[in-house]
Amino acid sequence: MANDPLVRLDGITKRFGDTVALDNLTLDIAQGEFVTFLGPSGCGKSTTLRILGGFEQPSEGRVLLRGEDVTRRPPEKRNVNMVFQDYALFPHMTVRQNIGFGLELKGMGKSEIRARQDEIMAFLELEAFGDRYPAQLSGGQRQRVALSRALAPDPALLLLDEPLGALDAKLRAQVQQELKSIQRRTNKTFFFVTHDQEEALTMSDRIVVMSNGRVEQDGTPEELYFHPASRFVAEFIGETNLLNGELRGTDGDAVVMDWFGQTLRGHAPAGVPPKGAPITASVRLEKLDFHKERPATANAVQGRVVGKTFLGSRMAVDLTVEDAQGAHLKAYVDAETGQSVGDAPVWIGWDGKTAWRCCATEIRCPGRPFGRPGIALQPSISCFRARRKSRMSRADFSSIET
Amino acid sequence: MNRKNRIILSCVYWAFVAYVFVPLILMVLMGFKDSNFIGFPIRSYTLEWYTGVFDDAETISAFVYSVAIAVLSTVISILVGTWIAVLLEGRSFWGRAVVFGMTVLPALIPGIISAIAFRIYARYLGIEPGMGAIIWAHAVHNVPFVVLVVMARLSTLPKSQIEAARDLGADPLIAFLRITFPYLVPAIMGASIFCLLLSFDDFVRSFFLGGYEPTLPVLIFAKLKSGMSPEINAIATVALVLTAVIGVWAERFTRRMNKDS
Repeated sequence: MANDPLVRLDGITKRFGDTVALDNLTLDIAQGEFVTFLGPSGCGKSTTLRILGGFEQPSEGRVLLRGEDVTRRPPEKRNVNMVFQDYALFPHMTVRQNIGFGLELKGMGKSEIRARQDEIMAFLELEAFGDRYPAQLSGGQRQRVALSRALAPDPALLLLDEPLGALDAKLRAQVQQELKSIQRRTNKTFFFVTHDQEEALTMSDRIVVMSNGRVEQDGTPEELYFHPASRFVAEFIGETNLLNGELRGTDGDAVVMDWFGQTLRGHAPAGVPPKGAPITASVRLEKLDFHKERPATANAVQGRVVGKTFLGSRMAVDLTVEDAQGAHLKAYVDAETGQSVGDAPVWIGWDGKTAWRCCATEIRCPGRPFGRPGIALQPSISCFRARRKSRMSRADFSSIET
Repeated sequence: MNRKNRIILSCVYWAFVAYVFVPLILMVLMGFKDSNFIGFPIRSYTLEWYTGVFDDAETISAFVYSVAIAVLSTVISILVGTWIAVLLEGRSFWGRAVVFGMTVLPALIPGIISAIAFRIYARYLGIEPGMGAIIWAHAVHNVPFVVLVVMARLSTLPKSQIEAARDLGADPLIAFLRITFPYLVPAIMGASIFCLLLSFDDFVRSFFLGGYEPTLPVLIFAKLKSGMSPEINAIATVALVLTAVIGVWAERFTRRMNKDS
């Protein structure tokens, strides 16, 4: 059926004893997408991957591959290949034999296998290593072999289970670029699992943020970064200031909140909680600007520098805002500005429209309390549901708000 | 203080070395003595005893018999032991501990007791004493060592190896043959050498279950009864050199294979 998505996860629930690893996960993946499942350990991302690979069976729900139900099919009968976290290269086989393993089992002829091996090894620049054993390769080379082996049988979907974890930082950045470019050149669908938000932002077309077996947010890296749907996403992706306050009302498109006596304006992602409800605003560190005089921006508070960290191209500045009961703010400014600010109070300004978002209070992690109890949770949930059903753009949110 | 400790330690060490090796050295020396009696002083040396060993049809046939028993019992032990190890490792089922305990038990039972038990059971089953009975007893005795060695190796096989094979299209049997088995080869090699030496060396079971043809240890025992002579030392020295060479080679071989993978 032409209209079927490449992969459809239909109401997948997975329980291990009493723990729910995945809670009614429904998701479509289109052909050619680079989808990243992002979340802390134990959030269900690896379980999803293993269910797609056929190594685990869901307790409920179905897995559809090109419209075909493969839920109960063992891994060897699925047109899905995986790059394992430890690469799982076969130590007693050469690089060439490793790559040929899947082809052989597909029943391909000798010359055909040889041609495919050559093709894939040329593609990933492994020609020189064909006769080496995995033990004789470096980490980056092994990673490429693992990738070649998984790509060789031409799978419909490639699963990658944190395959960059074992590489050092420099190599990692390089391999990230490579992976992305390989994905583009092959036009394969990549399903990537990681707990590293930076990695996810760099490579993905689409990121699904998971927490406690549920989807927190599903969107492009930009959407997630600039318009986090929940406090969890705001905190997990990039660095941010979370400002806890109370909702005052709305002013046109903007939401007005009270932050320890300071009035702040911003944009809510979805739904407006009732007046007086606790609310959290997320302001990215790089959105804060320093001024000598009170700036004309929508938000302006006066702060005092309490600490500076030099980061090369920029400087992280810690501030306290005495007018807001000494609340803390953190800002990234360019190194020169950072050096010039001294002990004198400095004005901090940020835009009310684009610079910050406020999101209704986080609700799903009872073990991680914040804000006050008895808060209005409904808006966040409805926003969450709406977003899951149809991956809405920002424009759609305004319609919810009105 | 430190120096004193070191001296004491090295004294203890060399005393231990002497304790282990002096009897062996004496035994080897006596094999070269040009006299019918074992004991000092050695006035002249000869190779006659050694040439005698290789000329003696009885000794040679006992040696061949022992080797044949060792090889056949090892093959059985390896097949059964590997199978049990694969069955037990990484799986939990009801009664696993009992199965494991029963598997290991034959290694712990004193040789004389298991030999008598085998003898009685063999008669009960109507099995004639002889090669078959000895092979059977040796195999049962050696299986636990195979199980333990293979299980230890199997426990270090990353689960992802099998999953990767399955992922690439291998059914469970192919995954075992192409991935698990090659991984186990060093352990199986090591266990085989160990079984060969255990079987070759065994006296009690071979004595109780043997027929008219003696294994090498049984032959030596029989020769001892008719009096000590340097001939026995010569036989023992040949056996010692062979087992030592095989043992050292096997040790190095398995270590190299373990390093490779």
